[in-house]
Amino acid sequence: MLPTITVDDEKCGDPLSCRKCLLICQTHVLGLGTSVGVKKYRETDPQYFVVRGVRFDKCTGCMDCVEVCPNNAIQVSFSEGGAR
Amino acid sequence: MCDWCEKYGDGYERWYFNPANYARRLYKIRREEAESSGAETNPQAAGGMAVIGPDFQEARDQGDLEKMQEIKQKAEAASWLTHFGQVITLEEALKIADMIYPIGLMTCSCRRSMQGYPSEENFTCMGMGPGMYKWERWPDTYRGGMHYLTPDEAKEVITKMNKRGLVQTVFTFGTPYLAGLCNCDYPDCAFIRTTVDFGIKLLWKGHYVAKIDPELCTGCASCVSRCQFKALNYSPSKNMAYIDQFQCFGCGLCVTECDQGAISLVERAKLPALANVW
Ligand code: SF4
Ligand code: SF4
Ligand code: SF4
Ligand code: SF4
Ligand code: SF4
Repeated sequence: MLPTITVDDEKCGDPLSCRKCLLICQTHVLGLGTSVGVKKYRETDPQYFVVRGVRFDKCTGCMDCVEVCPNNAIQVSFSEGGAR
Repeated sequence: MCDWCEKYGDGYERWYFNPANYARRLYKIRREEAESSGAETNPQAAGGMAVIGPDFQEARDQGDLEKMQEIKQKAEAASWLTHFGQVITLEEALKIADMIYPIGLMTCSCRRSMQGYPSEENFTCMGMGPGMYKWERWPDTYRGGMHYLTPDEAKEVITKMNKRGLVQTVFTFGTPYLAGLCNCDYPDCAFIRTTVDFGIKLLWKGHYVAKIDPELCTGCASCVSRCQFKALNYSPSKNMAYIDQFQCFGCGLCVTECDQGAISLVERAKLPALANVW
């Protein structure tokens, strides 16, 4: 079963320096994407990084990331037919 | 025979020993293609180093084999044209370091993306060839800085990373332009992970397959932790290491760890059933 993982980018202000959720996930589901897509010079700029459930197929639903997040930015849920 | 050697080997033993494949001209031509093909070639744009979008995971969850196959074929075709890798041995990596100049050590974008490592802990990725000079001209393209290495320094760094347990790989940037000399591991290397988890071949197996000598293996199991490809385990009943040769990527990391000399690399091409398993 696949999870729905959502991250509130407003609440997660500086993921590169926090990265608590990235480090706690046993199966390395979460990763940093960029909010600007393919834009020269900008896609590698830390200020555009956002946390996403990149490898969501490996999410066990343990909720460790939800609990560790100091800003309550992550939500993980499972429902029949749900994805990401 | 390896498709890439056949296409781009030009008489050299391996395509990555053919100096022509490191020429900037090729890089220039292909770069526009890479940019225009969008998210798949810019892993960061896809959300982390995902490379493959969520469709594949969803299709697999639903058991939709046809859809999976379709996504796989599309992703592989795009990757093989623009950006894919092949596993090489330490020896081969050292040979390339002697052949190509300049070599720059830089931060690894896969691991930064998946674990957010600070730059100073993350210098594991190498770029090579004339394309490297662009970093000096456009420092904004690349954050974290870059260290140019002499051939001897490069060989020292590669050997150290092999010792740490990182797999040596070469990567194209606009095939067949080779510009990445990478040092990767599971699960944070996007290419190892996509290849191993999804069976989507963004990283080709190398030219060798590992083999255990049952006379020499003492069952110490110290090689087991070296395998990044789920090909090697310890069998308690045999008290010996066991290698799934169909899964082996031929990186040779287990070989360098065994102080009994019990593991050797044999040429993939010499094994009829494996000769075309890449
Ligand atoms: S719920 Fe657990 S497995 Fe899923 S992303 Fe969070 S930490 Fe990882
Ligand atoms: S733990 Fe929360 S605030 Fe920290 S990086 Fe993850 S989502 Fe952002
Ligand atoms: S291919 Fe390997 S070294 Fe290169 S960026 Fe990815 S994990 Fe890092
Ligand atoms: S390191 Fe060598 S001796 Fe030890 S288990 Fe592996 S193959 Fe056998
Ligand atoms: S079995 Fe040895 S050579 Fe084969 S992939 Fe694993 S570590 Fe590399």
